[in-house]
Amino acid sequence: MARLVGLLLAWACMSFSSGAGSASAADLRFTAGEYSGFTRPFLERVARDYEALHPDIHIQIEVIPWDSYLQKLTTDISSGDQPDIAIVPTMWVSDLAADGLLEPLDPLATPEFKSKFIPAFLVPASVNGQLLGLPAAASARAMVVNTDLLQKAGVKAPKTWDDLLTAAKAISALPNAYGFGLPGKEVEVDTYFYYALWGFGGEILKNGKSGLSSPEAIRAATFYMSLINDKATEPSPTAHSREDVFKLFKEGRIGIVFTYPMLVPQLKAEAPNLRYAVLPLPVETQPITLGVTDVLTLSSSSKNQKAAWDFMQFLYDAKYRAEFDRAEGLLPVTAEGAADSYYRDNPDIAAFAAGLAYARFAPTIKGWSELSEITLRSLQTMYLGQKTPTEAMTDAARQIDDVLARR
Amino acid sequence: MRRGKSTTCLPADNDRHLRNRQMLFLLVAPSAAAALLITLVPVLLLVRMSLSSVSRFGRVGDYVGLRNFTRLATDPLLPDIALRTVIWTGSVVAGTLLIALPTALVLNRRFFGHGLAQFLVLAPWAISVTSMSVVWRRVLSDEAGLLNRLAMASGLIERPIIWLGSIPASFGFEIMVAILVSVPFSTVILLAGLSSIPTDLSEAARLDGAGARARLRFVTLPLLRPFICVVLIFNVAYVTNSFPIIWILTQGGPANGTDILVTYLYKLAFTLGRLDEAAALSIVMLCVLGALTVLMLRMLERPAYA
Repeated sequence: MARLVGLLLAWACMSFSSGAGSASAADLRFTAGEYSGFTRPFLERVARDYEALHPDIHIQIEVIPWDSYLQKLTTDISSGDQPDIAIVPTMWVSDLAADGLLEPLDPLATPEFKSKFIPAFLVPASVNGQLLGLPAAASARAMVVNTDLLQKAGVKAPKTWDDLLTAAKAISALPNAYGFGLPGKEVEVDTYFYYALWGFGGEILKNGKSGLSSPEAIRAATFYMSLINDKATEPSPTAHSREDVFKLFKEGRIGIVFTYPMLVPQLKAEAPNLRYAVLPLPVETQPITLGVTDVLTLSSSSKNQKAAWDFMQFLYDAKYRAEFDRAEGLLPVTAEGAADSYYRDNPDIAAFAAGLAYARFAPTIKGWSELSEITLRSLQTMYLGQKTPTEAMTDAARQIDDVLARR
Repeated sequence: MRRGKSTTCLPADNDRHLRNRQMLFLLVAPSAAAALLITLVPVLLLVRMSLSSVSRFGRVGDYVGLRNFTRLATDPLLPDIALRTVIWTGSVVAGTLLIALPTALVLNRRFFGHGLAQFLVLAPWAISVTSMSVVWRRVLSDEAGLLNRLAMASGLIERPIIWLGSIPASFGFEIMVAILVSVPFSTVILLAGLSSIPTDLSEAARLDGAGARARLRFVTLPLLRPFICVVLIFNVAYVTNSFPIIWILTQGGPANGTDILVTYLYKLAFTLGRLDEAAALSIVMLCVLGALTVLMLRMLERPAYA
């Protein structure tokens, strides 16, 4: 027994001293959401490149599926193990900032480094005038149509929302085909509504209150319901997630979907014979689309902030940025990247990139995910026919105002 | 009870007793310590969270007393979800027992193909509930899914049906999957119970002229009661806390129509970011389930012939 204790003690001392011996070295933990199968190997490669230049730094990469990322980050932070560097959706920034978990970057970033970025992307990552994250990924949404189905139905690609209804109805009249893909389950159910909401001139939040009970919002909701009632969507939207809808599109069963750029490479790989076109979203008064950004953040409790910041800058090397954006189907966040003719000449990406000029972002307010959940629930009751558009929208607006008032 | 021990103890005997007790304590200590560490510490942390205000990312703030519990009490969604949880647990546990009991009775006999039958009934146990749910999602949700293809091939339907299209149908399928998942484990317990019943009891009853039904009712079932209780205790706890089936098939949707307490708990914590209220809800669930388990354990301790 005594020998065992002795052994344990010796082992403990050894591991302690080895820890102390390498005090000058820095261990960095870096978490990111998984954009695709490319994300992990790419980040690993960049980290190894950096380690080759800085042998005393060790970087641990953790790539987490987006579905479980929030849960993982919450668990990490609540157990005192916040990653040093993390790529997070911009909508989490206000919540992270409210807990003082993010290091302000203004004192670290030189004006020259900041001038690399497209200025508009620095705005959503700032809270109370403090820059808390660097734009890491940008994306905008567009419309993808199955040109064969449009042709068969004898309609043109829709330019307005009314065109969309006409075209969707005509495609649905074809055997075994549905006009418009409307996801009503799981992620982004509310996002699909914001396209129409913005399209008809509405706002998510207006003067600190929900904009969902506005006449524009009710018109948008009524429009989606008329799509469902006219059987211009897939049957039972509440049983179809975004991925289910995309699957039907790849099978050539759906005529029109709204999507992120990543669908295009998927179409090429999984449905090489499908003929498609990438177009801007329908326009009513002015062009709109949803812009989504993710940001690279630095933990305020990191023990190796200097090393972490150095690595963060390394990630913006033009060579890495261009490779990452293209492989993940993302849009450029740096001025240099945006200057690339690829984003104007490539018909698969041009409509997405053009949207950046007029893209709108989800509000960056604390507790956004709760507002999004309320909207999702109300939309689902409406899609199921349990509530009329007016009832569902006023109901959602009331609940959102309650939540906003409670803060 | 014959124990082969006299009521008076010799000093040497006493000493051995003491050493025996020490030994027993030593043997129990690791598992008791592990149980304390693994269950008690998180529960205490949970109690602290439920009485504090906790931020979106888990920072525990001020003590707020019972505020989180009163907020839960006024949550308009919760009564429906609680009721649905009772329906969920009740129907899954009842369904499981109704299938597992006859299955165990049949498997307890020797017949041709007995081994294969036993394998087929018990094999699903080896599959994780999560993978099972993913498979069922594919079977049910796809227009070209297995169920639609089978139903169309057999001429039952002409066009594919969206099986998860309505709330009652979704919840019904979820209950069905949960029953299928629970049957193997329950069958094993009941089989173990059946094999512990001496065959001579049944023989004696038969010689006394008892028919098969009477033997089942007056001999087998009363002797099996403790095992049925065990099945009930385990299943009530497992099923009430069962998360993957509902989460994977419908995520508790549409419009919270298939949420049970544990899926709503997850939403409260990670979608809505109200970790404090989620902690309060899990404390409430823990107390209710604890009380239920104690109640059922009492049932188990009552002698079988009472």
